[in-house]
Amino acid sequence: MEHEVRQADIPTVEALVNAFEAGSVSRRAFLRRAGLLGLTAAAAGALADAAAPRRARAQTTQKRDLVVAQGGDISKFDPHFSTSSNDIRVSFNVFDTLTSRHPDQKLYPSLATEWKATGPTTWTFKLRSGVKWHNGDPFTAADAKFSLERTYDPAAKTMVGTVFTTIDRIEAPDPTTLVIHTKKSDPLLPDRLAFYGGQIVPRKYLEQVGPDTFNAKPVGTGPLRLLSWTKDDKAVFEAFPDYWGGKIDVDSVVFRPIPETAPRVAAVLKGEVDAITQLPSDHWDRVNQNPTTRGVGALYAGLYVLGINAKVPPLNNQMVRQALSLSIDREAIVKDLYRGRAIVPNGPIAQGDRHYDPSLPPLKYDPRAARDLVKKSGYKNEPVVIETTIGYVAQDKVMSEAIAGMWKDVGLNAVVEVVEYSVRAEKNRNKTFKGLWWSDPTSTLRDPDGMMWRLLGPGGPQDYFRDPEWDELGNAARFSLDEKFRGEAYRKMTKIMLEKAFGWVIIMQPYEDYGLQRYVDFTPNPNQQFEVRRFNFRMRRA
Amino acid sequence: MRGLGGFLAYRLLRTLVALWLVSTVVFVVMRLSGDPVPLLLPPDAPISEMERVRHDLGLDQPLPVQYAVFLRNVVRGDFGRSIHFRQPAMDVARSYLVATFELGLVAFAIAVVVAFPVGVISAVRRNSLLDHTAMGFALIGQSAPTFFIGIVLILLLALRLDLFPTSGRGDWRHLVLPALTLGAFTMASIARITRSAVLEVLRADFVRTARAKGVAESWVIVKHTLRNAALPILTITGLQFGTLLGGAVVTETVFAWPGIGRLAIQSIYNRDYPVVQSTVFIAAVLFIVINLCLDVLYGVLDPRARA
Repeated sequence: MEHEVRQADIPTVEALVNAFEAGSVSRRAFLRRAGLLGLTAAAAGALADAAAPRRARAQTTQKRDLVVAQGGDISKFDPHFSTSSNDIRVSFNVFDTLTSRHPDQKLYPSLATEWKATGPTTWTFKLRSGVKWHNGDPFTAADAKFSLERTYDPAAKTMVGTVFTTIDRIEAPDPTTLVIHTKKSDPLLPDRLAFYGGQIVPRKYLEQVGPDTFNAKPVGTGPLRLLSWTKDDKAVFEAFPDYWGGKIDVDSVVFRPIPETAPRVAAVLKGEVDAITQLPSDHWDRVNQNPTTRGVGALYAGLYVLGINAKVPPLNNQMVRQALSLSIDREAIVKDLYRGRAIVPNGPIAQGDRHYDPSLPPLKYDPRAARDLVKKSGYKNEPVVIETTIGYVAQDKVMSEAIAGMWKDVGLNAVVEVVEYSVRAEKNRNKTFKGLWWSDPTSTLRDPDGMMWRLLGPGGPQDYFRDPEWDELGNAARFSLDEKFRGEAYRKMTKIMLEKAFGWVIIMQPYEDYGLQRYVDFTPNPNQQFEVRRFNFRMRRA
Repeated sequence: MRGLGGFLAYRLLRTLVALWLVSTVVFVVMRLSGDPVPLLLPPDAPISEMERVRHDLGLDQPLPVQYAVFLRNVVRGDFGRSIHFRQPAMDVARSYLVATFELGLVAFAIAVVVAFPVGVISAVRRNSLLDHTAMGFALIGQSAPTFFIGIVLILLLALRLDLFPTSGRGDWRHLVLPALTLGAFTMASIARITRSAVLEVLRADFVRTARAKGVAESWVIVKHTLRNAALPILTITGLQFGTLLGGAVVTETVFAWPGIGRLAIQSIYNRDYPVVQSTVFIAAVLFIVINLCLDVLYGVLDPRARA
């Protein structure tokens, strides 16, 4: 929404043109005001056109509000009750975590200023002093202890109960010290604290008002304080003036849901919103070529894969599984379906993760070798079924059809079936997929432990195949404090996984793209967060 | 108005029965369509957590128990707690009503104000250029998908010509495009029905008589024709209004309008039982009340209908 400048402020055509170039007057308002100042429609139009390139180059604003359009609406404000990306984008701005992962993927101090492993199973955190909650209460270690314990408290029934299962007990010996004892050595505890589940909630306020009121009227320590929420319409936040990281560069932030792609892209092209999330790859060029907008993206902290149910034939046949991966022309998918807004991975560790091995080549495409494998494998033409959703993973159905075609080319009886999202969720829970399905595993800790081990490990949600050496390595790496040892273990696990072709048919690592007005200076963070803090957001001001 | 009291009482009783039937159907169908619990928890949640959530929501009780509790709560206006929003379900649904009415009423008003005169004039000037053009547009309005009309309007009138906002709810300018989109089908139907109803009546004997008597043509149309053509027009119009209120989900999604249709569809995807029941109930109440009003209007307009 444009900040419409009042007529009294624009006494002359020259002033009007200047305002238009600076971006503080929309084209429609310009034409109207020009008419009131005595120009004909034709003259006003010509003036606007002449000023447009200068306007585009100006790329600054006086706006004091930021309007963001997401592809879906918020459902809850309580950060421990939702891991949906539409909620995370908001909750990471209303609340802080102890440690914070910045766009460079490193951990930085947030509510904790320092942390150290002070024993094999002990981490000690020094907490920031002078931090205020949105209601003025002071933040202390007691809040951090309460908040973390709440996530796995069975009485609280949160959705993030499995994030901190390594914690044994927590002590808050003084208001700025937090001591966490883990059940076994946990080198990844600081990483765990940076992602969902780690948002710190206020003990006193929550205990006073109860979880339902807390969900309706959240109080956090973050840069945004909730003012109002109309469902499916907009959520309005004000910039918290006492934020410990400094008040951000606007006075208010509005989150709006625009579920349909075309109107959402139109809104940013036209200047009705300052930023949109979930910019599909086929609109990337349009947003970049538009003089007032640009696209900005970051590699998703995770992968797009097809999960493999290795228990059903023919997927229980290792050669068939190897053929599945070899026969996919990932470059073509990235180029034609994703317009280049993705990269071809080289294994199950996402680029940007700790222990990612850049020396490994991208996953191979060799349809001839795949065809040979299929012949040698004794394959009896059993159907290879992809149960695809529509829109759970971007372009999932289209990719399924392309991949099925590639598999047919190497002699596999590939079948694509469409299932509804909730049916997928049920099959996922009960592990009853007929063959393959789309998944977007997230690297929650920016470490292989948080992705391939979390999902494919024994008892994990995608446990369909076990290899004893792989399990042993994963287990040892999880509890080791020696990064060299861990790196070596994950290298071996990658090799085993690619050779035995279990778990995932890895397809690509996409970019998560945003559309911005050119006066918005924003660096995206791959972990599905739309954070607006001073280190990654400001408006370009004249 | 002899018999109007009994007529009303009978209609009211039928209304209550209809409401009960609708609720029961919703109850049964929602439970046949899948288990909501996996949607509420992250994929790596243990089975014990799922059982706990299932118990807390009463989804582990036998069906007859769930139904008895459900009926008792319907009478109280309590549709349970939204699984997705963690707020009372009826409160959630109610918060969407104002926006729904705003869009539905404006769409309906535009539709009627345009369609009714167009239909009458098309009938009176049958086979003229105006008639053909109007009916051509009506055909498009009835056959083009709402989604298509909406996106085209956004691209042309909002993006290219910058006359209206692209989406969302705000001042009167935000209402125009969604109201046009939502009202397109209604406008087209009412125009065509009006045209045929008026044509039908224009052929009637009493109209020929009126003309023979020397009554002015415009008076023939207004006084004699329209009143008799009113019944079928009223029927279609009333039904359209009911549909507009509850079935605007495509328009609401395209224009990011916070209406109850969108809530209903999202709640179905989320298997948010309590909210689905609330929205269906609200939609049913609206539809049934509109039909009740229509019935009463008939009773007033046409004594034969009171039988």
